[in-house]
Formats: sequence, C-alpha cells, structure tokens
Amino acid sequence: MTPLTFPAPVENARTEALRAEVRGFLAEALASRAPLERAESWNGFDRGFSRAMGQRGWLGMTWPRRYGGQERTAFERYVVIEETLAAGAPVAAHWIADRQSGPTLLRYGTEAQKQAILPRIAAGECTFCIGMSEPDAGSDLAAVRTRADRQGDGSWRVNGTKLWTTYAHEADYMILFCRTSGTPADRHEGTSQLLVDMKHTPGLTVFPVHDLMGQHHFNEVHFEDARLPADALLGTEGSGWTQVMGELAYERSGPERFLSSIQLLIELIGALQGSESEAARSAIGRLFSHLVTLRHMSLGVASLLEKGENPSVHAAIVKDLGATFEQDLPDIARSLVDARPDLASTNDFCAVLAYTIMASPAFSLRGGTREILRGIIARQLGLR
Amino acid sequence: MEDISQVVFDSARRLLGELADGMTPGAPLSDRQRADGWSRIEEMGLPLALMDEDKGGFGLPLADAFELVKICGRHITGFPLVETMLAHRFAAASGKPAPDGPVEAPGELQTAQRDYAALTRSAQMTGALDAILALTIAHVSDRRQFGRPLSAFQAVQHSLAVLASEVAAAHAAADHATGVLAQHGEGDAFTLAVGIARTRIGEACSKAASLGHQLHGAMGYAREHRLHLYTTALWRWRDEFGTQLFWSREVGQRVLAAGRDRFWPMVTAA
Repeated sequence: MTPLTFPAPVENARTEALRAEVRGFLAEALASRAPLERAESWNGFDRGFSRAMGQRGWLGMTWPRRYGGQERTAFERYVVIEETLAAGAPVAAHWIADRQSGPTLLRYGTEAQKQAILPRIAAGECTFCIGMSEPDAGSDLAAVRTRADRQGDGSWRVNGTKLWTTYAHEADYMILFCRTSGTPADRHEGTSQLLVDMKHTPGLTVFPVHDLMGQHHFNEVHFEDARLPADALLGTEGSGWTQVMGELAYERSGPERFLSSIQLLIELIGALQGSESEAARSAIGRLFSHLVTLRHMSLGVASLLEKGENPSVHAAIVKDLGATFEQDLPDIARSLVDARPDLASTNDFCAVLAYTIMASPAFSLRGGTREILRGIIARQLGLR
Repeated sequence: MEDISQVVFDSARRLLGELADGMTPGAPLSDRQRADGWSRIEEMGLPLALMDEDKGGFGLPLADAFELVKICGRHITGFPLVETMLAHRFAAASGKPAPDGPVEAPGELQTAQRDYAALTRSAQMTGALDAILALTIAHVSDRRQFGRPLSAFQAVQHSLAVLASEVAAAHAAADHATGVLAQHGEGDAFTLAVGIARTRIGEACSKAASLGHQLHGAMGYAREHRLHLYTTALWRWRDEFGTQLFWSREVGQRVLAAGRDRFWPMVTAA
C-alpha cells in the first residue's frame, strides 16, 4: 500500500509578512486578555473582535472578491487561523461561519444566498451554528429525525430537536441537516440541508445546555411547526448526506484540533523556564516534537484541500492524533509541576491546568468521536 | 520525482525484495548468500547512493535519496546496506579511502554527520514502519477466528487505525526534516528538525512494534515469522545515532531556553 503523505507548503515572503501583521494586531487587541480567558480558545465569543478581523480582510480569505473574500491561498488563511488560536483569541462569533458554513454556502448556495450572506461573514458580522447532532443522532448522524416538509406554497414546515448546538443562542443562522422525505430507516437517502434564520423563524426556540464547568456554550434547539421560506433549501433536495459530509471535512481538518489547549503548554513552559531538570527537558522535547509534526500534517491537509482533493482520512488522522496529544497534556503537566489545579487561582498555570483538565473530555468527542475517526481510517486501510 | 529516481527505486525494490525473500527469519545468511547478495548490491551501486554524483553517487535529489533509504527500511535483507551508504559518504567527505565491502557501523561521527546519520535512520525506520503496517493488515485480513477475519472486529480495526496514524506521523516527521536539510543545509535548524523527527518517530516505533505484535498474536512472536525482523530492528535503530532520550532532551532544552514568549514563534519556524 502507498503511505499516506502530508505535503506541507513552505513559508514564503507573503505568508511571513502576513504572519507578522497578524501577530502585531493580536498582541495589541488581546493585550489585556488573561491566560485563563485565552485557554477558552475557540469558545471565546466577542463580536467586536470578529468585526475587527473582518475589517482586516482575515475572514472568508480564500473566497471570491465578489462575495467579500480576498482570493488568498489556503496557506494564508491557515496562517491567520493558527495565529489567532495560538494567541487564544475569542473567535467563536466567526469561527463556524468562516470554517464550514461559508464554504458550504459557496459550494452549494444559490446566487441570492451567497450574495446575502457571504459578505456579512467576511465582514465578521454573521454568526453560524451547526445543525447536525440530535438527541438520538450523535455519531450516527444518518439517524436524524428532524423533518422539513414542503408546503403547498413551497415553504417548509420543520419539526424536531437539535442538540449540543454551540452558540445557537447567539447565532444568526444555522445550516440545518434534516430529513425531507422518507424515514430514518432510509439512512442517507431523503436528507437535505436548509438555511435557518435563527433570529426570525417562528416556531424556533433555543434552550441552554450547561457543560460540566457550568458554562453555557451548548443549546437545545426546538423546531415546532417552524416555517422556513421556499428559498431556505441549501443545495439539492435529497443530497443532504453528501453535502454534510463535505461540511464535516472542513470541520475536522483545521489546527484547532491540536491547538485548543496550547495555553496550558505555554504556561507549562513558563513554569519550567530555567529548569535544569532532565525530565522536564525530555518531556517538553517530546511535546514540542508532537506539536510540530501535527502542524506539518495539518498544513498538508490544508494544501490537499486547496488542490481540490478529499483529505478526509488525512484529516481524521490529524484530529485523532491531535485529540490524544491534547488529552495527554494535563497529566504530563501535573507530573512536572508540583501545583494543584484550581480554576480560581491567581497562578495562571494552576488556573489553566484546571480549565484544560475539565475541557479535555470534549477533545475526542466534538466534531467526530475518536471511534468514528478510527472507523474512517480503518475503512481507508481496506478493513471495512 | 525524476525518471532516474523511479528507475533506481524500481530496481532497488526488486533486488532488495528478492534478497529479503531469500533470507530465513532468525537464521544467519549462508556464506554463499552473503557473497552473492552483496555483489548484486554493489553491482547496482547502492552503497554509493548517498554520495554526490561527482563522487560516484546517483545524483538523486535529496528527497529521493531518503525515499531510497525508506525502501531499504521496507526490506530487511540481513546486509548493513544503509550503514555502508553512510560510511561511504562520510569517508569521501573526510578524504578517507572508500570502505571495502559491507560496513556494520560508520564509526566516530562529528555533529553534522551524526545529524545526517540520525535522519537517515529516521527514513529507514519509517520504511520499516510501512512494512509492519502492511504485514499487519495482511495478517488480520487473512487470519480467521470465531468464524470471521480478525479485520471484522472493531477492536482490531481501531488498533490498526492507531498504527496507521503513527506511521503517517513518522512519514511527516522524516519528510519535514529532509525538507529542512534541502532548504537550509546542515546547522542548528537541521539539528532541531532531526531532533523532532527522531523524538516523534522513536515513539511511533514503540507503538507500532507493540501494536504489530499484539495484532499478529503468538504467530508474530515466533522466530520463523518476518515481523520480528522489523520490530527488533526498530528497537535498536530508535536508540542509534542519539538515543530517544538524547534527542528529546536536545529539543526540550532549546524550547525551554527560548521560553514562554518565544515558544509559538519557535513552533511556526520549526
């Protein structure tokens, strides 16, 4: 069999200049952001920050200019997103839209949908949420029961419940994956994607779901005879499964899959600075080597995406290795620094450690569980 | 990839494949095998593969030269071919006479030579990891228990997914260090890239050997089986030209010296 390779692009003058510009902006914009806030990574929500990113042309960067994009390369976009993640910037107000909803609209949307929404995403003024998971459809996404029925006037009537919907309470839009014909037994057949206006849809209600830290990012979204206009259909009726798999490829491919706990690594290095400990050197050397290798693999995924290839297996490998790396980090930190995790501590290391320990179970759940990813990799190996 | 490289790869695969098939796992090569095999290797010019073209090498681009080393890693032949390649390269560079016949170890090395040898081992280990993955996939597809192939069990599929991911990471790490050598030549950046590659690949070797043996069951532990040719080689190679601990400390020391504020810039520069 042919080995899987990850052809990473090499930094050039243009990306170096962009990187310096982004770093300069972030240093100033985030000067007062505490390490514990930075540790929230892509859960931090700040519309003002997203607008500032949009004003600099750093959202929707690869899209055509006529939709508000900058027609820059995937590598340039990668530079911007990895810099914002590494700095712990509050990116949640634009993250999902820039990463997956925008590209899905660009690929499948009508001209009117693209004209109406893409420039707003690129300006940092439009927040999206993901309408995939349901109470009975987690890893088994094809089991969705939410249903949209076409009415006589062409509009849609939607009934069902979406769950774990991050920032649904803030979002302007959702891309809803649901059934438009048949029954859940039909699996991939009869599913579609619909564009939902989260602020102006009668029959739509958002309820908060708090996580184990007591934070409110997740929601439950109810559709009770909710009415969507005829032009809400995104892409082709009945092709929802193919479309949603494409959307997931964007969701799984990025550097957030190994950078979401980088603040802990930064604090750990701060705590060990000046240490002569051989164990510390070796452990940090190991973590650094993993991180750098993951980054090169992830850059390789971005470059395959840009070439129009489907790197879903490469992305699954990066996400699985990345989650394992991030989940190992708190215990490695605990073995090197004699300090108790404490969210309320004024010691940054202790606070960030406590946060990362509690955040870590989600790393191998969100965006595709470890089990689903390993199934995808095994299929590529010809085992299933 | 250049045509000449493809020709070299194909002939090396054919020859090394035949030599590997001809050896009995666990048994020493016969005198005849030893003499015939090495003369075929020399005929093809393989011991000179890492030399510059004007010194008798193939003139392969750097990435292709290390691809050839990966091919060597995929075929355990019982000959110290990669060690001899290194010995020829280092002898020529220091104006010493070319070694005669197979060389078990290239001898005392300066820092730059150690880095180069460590990267060569990285490529070779990556090739051996490919072989372990291929052997393991073949075994779990073939072997039946409880009335179905082992590959039908989800626990087996997931272990193999982990093995394949480790192998993919090893390739990425080796290829990147090769790229740094091609772009920057020998020096600090290369030493760091080699340290990263060796640290990451050494870990992949440990996991892959363990998973490969687990998935092969008792059969892979028998002397007649080919699996141990690769796993025992990896258990040696991962600690040669700098041990696992040596390389991880080399990397960690640099990261800790740079400190908290220089950490991320160091990641993007590496």
